[in-house]
Amino acid sequence: MESDNMTRRNFLASTTGAAAVPIAADWLAGSPAHATETMPVQRGDNLANVTLRVNRQTYRLGLDGRTTLLDAVRDHIGLAGTKKGCDHGQCGACTVLIDGQRHLACMTFALMAEGREITTIEGLAGPDGKLHPMQQAFIDHDAFQCGYCTPGQILSAIACVHEGHAETDAQIREYMSGNLCRCAAYPNIVAAIRQAKNNMEGA
Amino acid sequence: MHPFAYHRAETGRQAVDLARSSVMTRAPQQASAQFIAGGTTMTDLMKLNVLQPEALVDINRMSGEPYDQVVETAEGLRFGALVRMAEAQDHPAVVRDYPVIAETLRLAASQQIRAMASLGGNVLQRTRCAYFRETSWPCNKRNPGSGCAAINGMNRQHAVLGTSEHCIATYPGDFAQALIALEASVETLGPKGARRFPFATLHRAPEASPELETRLEPGELIAFIDVPARPWARRSHYLKVRDRESYEFAVAAAAIVLDLDGEIVRQARIALGGVATVPWRASAAEDALVGQRLDEDRALAAAEAAFTDARSYGANDFKISLGKRTLMRALLETKRMEI
Amino acid sequence: MPDNLNGDLNVAVPQPQANMGQPVARIDGRAKVTGEARYAADIPLGNLAYGVLATSAIARGSVRDIRFDDARAVPGVLDIISYGDLEGVEKPTFGNVNQSSIGPLHERKIWHDGQIVALVVADSFEAASEAASKIRIEYVEEKPSASFDSAGVETMDAAGVSALFQEDPQSGDFNAAYATAAVKLDARYSTPTQHHNPIELFSTTCAWNGDRLTVYEPSQNVNGFKHAIATQLHIDPANVRVVSPFVGGAFGSKGPMSPRTAIVAIAARRLNRPVRCVVSRMQGFTTATYRAETRHRIRMGADTDGKIAAFSHEGWELTSRPDAYVVGGTETTASLYGYGAVRTKVSLVKADRSTPGYMRSPPEVPYMFALESAIDELAVALNMDPVELRRRNDTQVDPIKGGRYTSRSLMECFDRAAEAFSWARRAPEPGSMRDGDWLIGWGCASAVYPTNSAPAAARIRLFPDARVVVQTSSQEIGTGIRTVAAQMAAERLGLEISAIEVEMGDSALPPAPVSGGSISTASICSTILKGCDAIRRRIFQAALSDRAGDSAGPFAGRNADDLDLKGGAVVAPDGASVRLTDVLGRGGFGVIEEYAEWAPEGVPPDGIQKLYRGQNAFKSGSGGDRLSFAFGAEFVEVRINTYTREIRVPRIVGAFAAGRIMNPRTARSQLMGGLIWGIGSALHEATEIDPRAARIVNRDIADYLIAVNADVGDVDVILVPEEDSAVNPAGIKGLGELGNVGTNAAVANAVYHATGLRIRDLPIRIEKLIV
Repeated sequence: MESDNMTRRNFLASTTGAAAVPIAADWLAGSPAHATETMPVQRGDNLANVTLRVNRQTYRLGLDGRTTLLDAVRDHIGLAGTKKGCDHGQCGACTVLIDGQRHLACMTFALMAEGREITTIEGLAGPDGKLHPMQQAFIDHDAFQCGYCTPGQILSAIACVHEGHAETDAQIREYMSGNLCRCAAYPNIVAAIRQAKNNMEGA
Repeated sequence: MHPFAYHRAETGRQAVDLARSSVMTRAPQQASAQFIAGGTTMTDLMKLNVLQPEALVDINRMSGEPYDQVVETAEGLRFGALVRMAEAQDHPAVVRDYPVIAETLRLAASQQIRAMASLGGNVLQRTRCAYFRETSWPCNKRNPGSGCAAINGMNRQHAVLGTSEHCIATYPGDFAQALIALEASVETLGPKGARRFPFATLHRAPEASPELETRLEPGELIAFIDVPARPWARRSHYLKVRDRESYEFAVAAAAIVLDLDGEIVRQARIALGGVATVPWRASAAEDALVGQRLDEDRALAAAEAAFTDARSYGANDFKISLGKRTLMRALLETKRMEI
Repeated sequence: MPDNLNGDLNVAVPQPQANMGQPVARIDGRAKVTGEARYAADIPLGNLAYGVLATSAIARGSVRDIRFDDARAVPGVLDIISYGDLEGVEKPTFGNVNQSSIGPLHERKIWHDGQIVALVVADSFEAASEAASKIRIEYVEEKPSASFDSAGVETMDAAGVSALFQEDPQSGDFNAAYATAAVKLDARYSTPTQHHNPIELFSTTCAWNGDRLTVYEPSQNVNGFKHAIATQLHIDPANVRVVSPFVGGAFGSKGPMSPRTAIVAIAARRLNRPVRCVVSRMQGFTTATYRAETRHRIRMGADTDGKIAAFSHEGWELTSRPDAYVVGGTETTASLYGYGAVRTKVSLVKADRSTPGYMRSPPEVPYMFALESAIDELAVALNMDPVELRRRNDTQVDPIKGGRYTSRSLMECFDRAAEAFSWARRAPEPGSMRDGDWLIGWGCASAVYPTNSAPAAARIRLFPDARVVVQTSSQEIGTGIRTVAAQMAAERLGLEISAIEVEMGDSALPPAPVSGGSISTASICSTILKGCDAIRRRIFQAALSDRAGDSAGPFAGRNADDLDLKGGAVVAPDGASVRLTDVLGRGGFGVIEEYAEWAPEGVPPDGIQKLYRGQNAFKSGSGGDRLSFAFGAEFVEVRINTYTREIRVPRIVGAFAAGRIMNPRTARSQLMGGLIWGIGSALHEATEIDPRAARIVNRDIADYLIAVNADVGDVDVILVPEEDSAVNPAGIKGLGELGNVGTNAAVANAVYHATGLRIRDLPIRIEKLIV
């Protein structure tokens, strides 16, 4: 245990129990560790076995615990359709569906996504290659230019419709504002979502 | 990002135990074990190396209590800390009885983040101060005693209320203002068991110790947030003023709950966002309204009262005026609501 | 924001008017919506190692000591490239392709915030990131100069310092004309530092195969990068291939090559493994280029009828200490209206900053903001409609050198846009239009962009089944160049677009110029046109001698000039027609291949050879005896809350004339994107630099504000038909950057109309409207 960082002030702060964030209490009291804990199996090579369900397929991976779902999907599974635009949850390019809800893959540790159904852009088209109505609508309305934010936009848009947040243009714009598009295809994105909504089941 | 041990808690008790069982090797302000729910704050700050926990306790699967539910009772609404923002924002009781809660949630972040983020984690989010988030700058919150780079720096987004010479970082959340205005309380679970306290006492102004942001004890987690029943909360509203239309933290914000008798204010609750170091109850503004007819002049007087002790630091000088205008506009919009 | 009631109208697909092609859907659309489109950092490589950059925490000084012990101790770390590891690698030379002359690992001197100090390579991204954060650096710090007002900056005349800006345009006696003018304007303006922030992160992936290097990197200039990296590494360019099949947005940021490329190449060579380095969003602010801040002083003298007798435009631009980067937008503003006397001067201010680079409409965005705001101020001073003021100063002749514009539809654009906007309903008095708690303001501005082009090469292959493959190294950055290239080939060869395959984004293909300066459509289409015309000649020759069995063929005795290709057939005016596949089959062709090289008129003879050395001999629309520019007009409505002063833009109308429009769908999208950029440019975007440390403070895409979906209401793009056969063989004027020009001024002018406040310093934010 490092003691060189312990200043008297810090010591006092800890003992008054007024810590800013939760800290383990036993550095003072030396209380014994509790044995009950659950976690993924740690392998000898510092990697953890992580099982992910992506696009209805099961993948068994050996991952650094720090690996985000985004990097797991792209670099370990090889599905490069989900994009990294900022890695800090600020642009929405990494939007995927987790149990049907839109999530940011860059802000999700892969091992926390175990047991959940993950959908990426590659999982949308039918096995015969038929495009999802949202994909088709994006083409019809030129709802992309460079295409980089597009996978995230499409998944976000699908969830937006299912959430019931695509009732008006104003609502679509607001609820799609978590997906940045620097090419500024926004008006075309809104038009595409309007079209797709009409063609989607359960919309 | 530094490596961490990952633990999953199946119950609240276990979460607390897991947090306390982790070995401590660093100074207290750099906690060794952190709880993680939605992860939107945690992963962000870990990637920046602002937080370097040695263990993460995943509390998403805690069961045994309604941590992931919104429960209506005669006493009010009980939000489990694991309820996601997106779920709470559209909950019928929330929308109907506490519109200010619905608005503070809907206007925050993006729908993706709201789908991930838990209410408990949301109220504990950290400041967006750029000097806090970049470890190569001195920062009294991140590194006590090292100085504050914001006070004489680029401080447009920084606070004008609740500041000290050690820290002027803004509390950036929105939901917390609704909880302040509705006088919510918090129930926690910690090494010493459960306890309850007013939400208004959760956050601490920086004063001389900006690293101490809340009154939570080591290994203590938020379990429930209780909002008391308040029929007049149907007339409530959150105004969030930002540079762009969406997906941005508040430049200035106001949560208002008004009990009106015609145009006369019977009761008022006001909380300010985007302008203070903690979720800010504007009691002086409330006092200026009670028993008075709410018109433009009265709204202005309340706004002036709210910012009497405001102090600005250069780039954020405008926040004093904007904060007042935001409060005024929010009051008048709340008054105009059709209930 | 109002709801769009035209749910049935697909406004994204405008119907073509005169001199416009079909609004076909992008041929890479399916790839983009399915995730199949591979960007540079998506391309799978075996045995890939991961590189993460470490960058400086100071802006000026040097690295006294740098320690890697803790970094190397991180499990998985393979190598660290830092000072002393680039032996044998040339420092980059500034200009043309390299973004800067700074070789960050060639010397320990720190020139700017966030300068590269090391590249850590590991077998995982997580290990490389952790290790990069554990590098210990001791600096010798010097007090940096952050921007214009900092102590220690150096100011100099821009003319003559830069190869691209030689002379301050002048004409006549400004002082005399200004002195006697009835109405005078003297105003100063400024624009902030801005960053491109494309959504795709910068990255470099290098893989060696023996002494052959493949670089996967998002690039606007694969051909230029190939030669630039070969030069730096002292290797034969023939052994270098740069691959960039799709680029996730560039806007100029991926045109210059950064020093990162050579560093990653060295890492990959040392390790004998492919290395991928993805630059973080934060690092992207300091290791690539940006739009530098500018200041302006504009003086105008006019008579009471509004004729501008005297115009002076002084500009100040910021650059780095080592590199004189200039945009020199006075070349545009000095020629835009029919001024009397003109005087201009551009000055450069050197500070301790990274070297700026081109960012969407580099000279026009800042300089036209100043001019178009000044025009509006003059209109107010004259109590004249700002559209009318422009009409009175419209010209078909350059006031500086007297050359004529090849075509200029500025006022037609104003008239079309004004009508669509309902400009006539404007109540001119500031603050006189309101909607509840919202002040309404209407403003307008001119858009202008020179018609540039550059030499290019393309290979076109026609197969016996009438499929076509077009190859050129041009870069698809979202403009739709792949699609319009296919359209040009389809049109000239009379085929469906589905028969055309286009290969781009690879330096192994025939060289093409940088995707910048809005040159691509004009240059690539002119090249494809040339190649296809050669193919047509060969087909027609074959058709003329085509025989059906023993009898003379259907075209016997005719002239090749009478023939055409349509609907997959060779056709004659009288209706005679033979399927192309039959002509090819009976003609005994395997593949008809044409390799076309095209250069704009007026480019020196070595222009094409320069292309093969990775250099682009630009022909600029603003040089030469005649001026070639595309024009437009933007009208903007702003709404400003009377209490809290947020500024919102519920509608924009832009009308643009750009010669032949190859594809109205993609053209509209480009212009729409540019208009929306204008909102950001006026209201949101500003890189904040801490003046004490000359360090960027808002270095992520949450704090650097760009427009979100909810910021955008109605954007109406009007394509105005225009014909101009003088600009290039295809009659095309570039428009990718046109919509971005002037829009920021239109917003500022609208803000004035709403509030009576004239904001001359961008961005226009809430605090500037609280008085």
